[in-house]
Amino acid sequence: MRWVLFTPLSLAIVSSVTTSIAEDWSQFRGYNATGVSLESRDLPVRFSHQEKVLWSSEIGKGIGCPIVSSGKVVATTMLDEQTFCVLCFDAKTGKELWRQEIGIGLTPSITSPNTQASSTPAADGERVYVYFSTIGMLAYDLSTGEQIWMQRLPPSFYLMGWGDAHSPIVYEDKVIFNRDDDLAPFLIAFDKYTGEVIWKTERAEMLAGYAVPVICTANGQTDIVIAGTGKLKGYDPKTGRERWTCNSLLRTIMTTPAVADDLIYISVQSFGDTDRVLKYALLQWKDTNQDGKLGKDELDEAFWKKFYQGDRNGDGFLIEDEIDAAFQAPTNMVGGGNTIQAVRGGGSGDVTETHVVWNLDNKSPSNIASPLVTNGRVFVVKKGGISASFDAQTGAEVYSRKRIRNFGNYYASPIGGDGKIYVQGENGFIVVLRQGPEVEVLARNDMGDSVVATPAIADGRIYVRTLTRLHCFSEEEN
Amino acid sequence: MRSLPVAVFAFAVSLTTVRAADQVTVIVGRGAADLEHFAARELVGQFKRLFGVNVVLADSIPDRQDKLVLLGSPSRNAAVRAIAGGSWPRLSDQGFLLRSFDRDGRRGVMVGGESPVATLWAVYELGHRFGIRYLLREDMFPDPQPLKLSGFDVIMEPELRTRTWRTISDSVIGSESWGIDDHQKLLRQLAKLKFNSVMLSISPWHPFVHYEFRGVKKQTGALWFGERFVIDAETPGRVAFASTGEFTNPDLSGAATYEQMTESGIRHVRQIMLEAQRLGMSVGVAISALEFPREFRQVLPGLEALDGLRNLSCVPSDELPPDDPGLKELVATKLRAYIETYPKIDRIYLTPSEVHEWQTPVDSAWQQLSQLIGKDAPSLDSLMKSAGSRPQIAAGDRGERSIKGNIVALAFLHNLLADSKLLQRADGSSVDLTITSVDPVLYPVLDRVIPARASTLNFVDETARRTLENTEILEALPADRVRSQLVITLADDHVGVLSQAATRSISELVEVIRKSAWDGFATQCRMLAELDPTVHFLSRAAWDRDVTARSAHDDLFATITGKQSASDRLWLAMGYLEAAAELTGSSGSGFSFPLEGMLMKHYCGDPAPDWWEQQNKLYTEAMIELYRAASNRHPRADRRMFYWAKRSEYVLEYLGAVKAVRAAGIARKKGQNEEVMAQLEVAIESLYNAMDTLSDVVEDQSDRGLIATLNRHAWRPLTIEYEKLLEEPEH
Repeated sequence: MRWVLFTPLSLAIVSSVTTSIAEDWSQFRGYNATGVSLESRDLPVRFSHQEKVLWSSEIGKGIGCPIVSSGKVVATTMLDEQTFCVLCFDAKTGKELWRQEIGIGLTPSITSPNTQASSTPAADGERVYVYFSTIGMLAYDLSTGEQIWMQRLPPSFYLMGWGDAHSPIVYEDKVIFNRDDDLAPFLIAFDKYTGEVIWKTERAEMLAGYAVPVICTANGQTDIVIAGTGKLKGYDPKTGRERWTCNSLLRTIMTTPAVADDLIYISVQSFGDTDRVLKYALLQWKDTNQDGKLGKDELDEAFWKKFYQGDRNGDGFLIEDEIDAAFQAPTNMVGGGNTIQAVRGGGSGDVTETHVVWNLDNKSPSNIASPLVTNGRVFVVKKGGISASFDAQTGAEVYSRKRIRNFGNYYASPIGGDGKIYVQGENGFIVVLRQGPEVEVLARNDMGDSVVATPAIADGRIYVRTLTRLHCFSEEEN
Repeated sequence: MRSLPVAVFAFAVSLTTVRAADQVTVIVGRGAADLEHFAARELVGQFKRLFGVNVVLADSIPDRQDKLVLLGSPSRNAAVRAIAGGSWPRLSDQGFLLRSFDRDGRRGVMVGGESPVATLWAVYELGHRFGIRYLLREDMFPDPQPLKLSGFDVIMEPELRTRTWRTISDSVIGSESWGIDDHQKLLRQLAKLKFNSVMLSISPWHPFVHYEFRGVKKQTGALWFGERFVIDAETPGRVAFASTGEFTNPDLSGAATYEQMTESGIRHVRQIMLEAQRLGMSVGVAISALEFPREFRQVLPGLEALDGLRNLSCVPSDELPPDDPGLKELVATKLRAYIETYPKIDRIYLTPSEVHEWQTPVDSAWQQLSQLIGKDAPSLDSLMKSAGSRPQIAAGDRGERSIKGNIVALAFLHNLLADSKLLQRADGSSVDLTITSVDPVLYPVLDRVIPARASTLNFVDETARRTLENTEILEALPADRVRSQLVITLADDHVGVLSQAATRSISELVEVIRKSAWDGFATQCRMLAELDPTVHFLSRAAWDRDVTARSAHDDLFATITGKQSASDRLWLAMGYLEAAAELTGSSGSGFSFPLEGMLMKHYCGDPAPDWWEQQNKLYTEAMIELYRAASNRHPRADRRMFYWAKRSEYVLEYLGAVKAVRAAGIARKKGQNEEVMAQLEVAIESLYNAMDTLSDVVEDQSDRGLIATLNRHAWRPLTIEYEKLLEEPEH
């Protein structure tokens, strides 16, 4: 199914008249990363790894999200430390249709709960596109699993050793991929048929971040929108040229915005207060001998070029502002904090003063789980199972600091459909809430294993990738 | 469907190809022992990984101009005899050498020991010198390097000849929870660390032996004092368990009856022994001589129930004389059962008495022992005074009871072991005997109060730091007349579930016993947790008197992290952990001893002790340094660094729960009901986060056991209290 640029509302209208077409959830968080299914009905409320299981498969370790396209489910996994695997299942029966095992070589360091199989594929109904850190971008025939093309990408590097977790999207005839690392962040578009690079845009102002690109159409203008260090930016999908920037974000962006109509919603928690620019983090964690300056040997060799650029006085150390000069763009010296905001799309140039519709500074956001925008409200959840909700138009608090009766960490992002919100805890419980102005817990469902990946919803089924298994839950009889 | 692997290994492949031009032949003598063949296979595996070279095994020097590794001693390998000629040094049975040679166009290295196990240690030492570091759960290899066999001229003899690892014991967070897989994994690492003895500490109620006495069959077969640890969907950190249900030792899982438990238990212990002996270690079982499962009370009047966890056992009471024939028969039955069940054991460690209930016959017992000691026997009064006034943990009345019980039990053992056949195997050979836990006031006459030919295993105090306060006791032991090991506590039970270290104080202790010519040490601990640097120190210091705590630390961490600066941070981190553990242990409160009430005992109205703040500060500093080190490590150290860092996070969350529980207790005392509930909620969340954090880095059954015990003894009581208060009208 090709990307068709509908708003969720128009999608709903189309789906109501074309019921024979299978519903897709073809990238991270489904349609435009919204995490919302508008088509599915009768989604299960009470289910578990032993209940309402339409099918289930042991697939190995990974945290990349499952996707659904043309009646097929695609997931990724690590078969062993040297072998990455792409798996394709029949969405209804769970029959394995094909698999591709890929030798990956020596993998870089990552920080748990990240795993090497962390990227979520994207599909267009005919092909599936998969990124892996040591390889680059791969395209497979969705029906047969045959490799169609491969484009190598340079290795990524992370000052804090977090590792890759970036995911592609498909827009029109392009595979769009953003990879903000600490060395050479970029946004790139591949021809989805051939893998040819159509354009590549450096994002030199960015530090490591994990936001997936989203598409926003406003004012008759369609932009690729990416949240990154300090800035939300809009790019021309045809050229990759930057159209606008909204300098309202924080240092570390791990969440993905959600678009509803012409508004882009983003919630971010970035460690430390607003004065905590990168140098403080680096001096705290990378200055191993705690002499108050960074030596070359305290950094990965990949960063030495930046080191020399920052070492203005040539004394062989990065001291004070030299640290920021080496790694953080002078035009983008932002710190940590919390923010939930709505930004109107379709701008041009610096829209910081003109397009921020509302901006809240409170402690509700998670640093990992993205916001869910549905039924006119923005829903967020963070560690401890503490949730909050805001009016999408005004930012007015609907409720805050409400527990959803499940402790622990939240790495997966909430998703919604059929009047419900599904919230996945790392502890392996999926809490089902009724969509509404209050917290109403409908069920707390045991997956029997950690859940870090965001599930997929399609055709009334929920596909949950736990740390080791892929489950399909449905009210259907199996 | 498979596609061709993506060729991202180009560099690695070419590197391997170039180095494959080197071929190494490892020569094992025709008369080599199994252990030396095993050593050869170990060496082949290490060389392939270290150098990417082709390694072949042979039993004689080939015509090819390969680089050679000659394995074994001249007596078991003709190639060694030929190359070494008369230059092979005199070595003890544990001694070994690494010596390069270049003779008649033949180049290589001799790697051999006087005994087969010493040859195995020589192989592991060679690996160490090539940069491999042996941790308790894994090996860490250096980056690939060129093959170089020249320049070795090393002879090693142990400074401490007996290096014992104690296992099983009695805790859900200890190896009592381990299946054979965990045991085997550790034993293989211990062999690499040159441990040469394993002691299986078995309690009377364990399902590891069966015997009958006067028509009564042993019927008690339980782990963990018979406690059960349920893991359900609500257990925080439950994702660390393969399934919900009950936490069990996997080797005894499914065994429902005593008979099934015992059958599985004996098989389990035999497998541990088999693996240890395969690796060249001696094996012993440690049992309490005078403690029996409770069912034997019915056939031997004079045994009384021992108050304790679930009252599983009984001990002699004052009604019994020290030469009671029934008691002798019962102890003999038990000893014979162990020897017949485990005929291949090398040693029995016999604890005279840990509970000291049997005291009345002390005068007659001391009279007997005095005769053995001779004219310099101290008076009983002087012993009692010494025991009562000493600074160790068993002092005052407890000290007096300890010495009395010890004397009575020692006299009993003398009488019992007068029968020399008691410790004989079916083939007529004898199992060695080690007497454990003789009271320290008897050390000056230790060689005369224990049965003939026995060695000793000695316990002075519960931590290395406190033992160090009694160095004069250690020095008073006649190490030249009785082979003695010292119990070295690697992790303090009173610190229990928290992260801890003890390398600095242990290094001082090792110095004392080395100078006093002790034979060696036996470890004591529950979890592997943060023990790597301590065990690495013991492994190196046991062979080299110049090794210090710091040098061993750097030898380990500068190597595996690839950076001295990371090792520096870890030195600070371990120092903070050691200081935190000493502070916690010295409080005397059993602060986090993993037992019932471990958390809720802090739910009281007393102000929080001042030392809690310092404890929190120390653990916080430790966590910061661990993360600093973790962010600067070589990728090979990722997992280990992250494990320690996450455990330090867990500790801070746990301490947060304790603090909140105390705050709730204080609020309750003041009648501030809302504050009680608020603080209990904080405690619940902190404890949840603590257990959830642990589950992120579970590596073995001890880690799972820790979650299980926190669930039973902390989480459940806390949530029950919270829910109880919720239902009270005023809340």
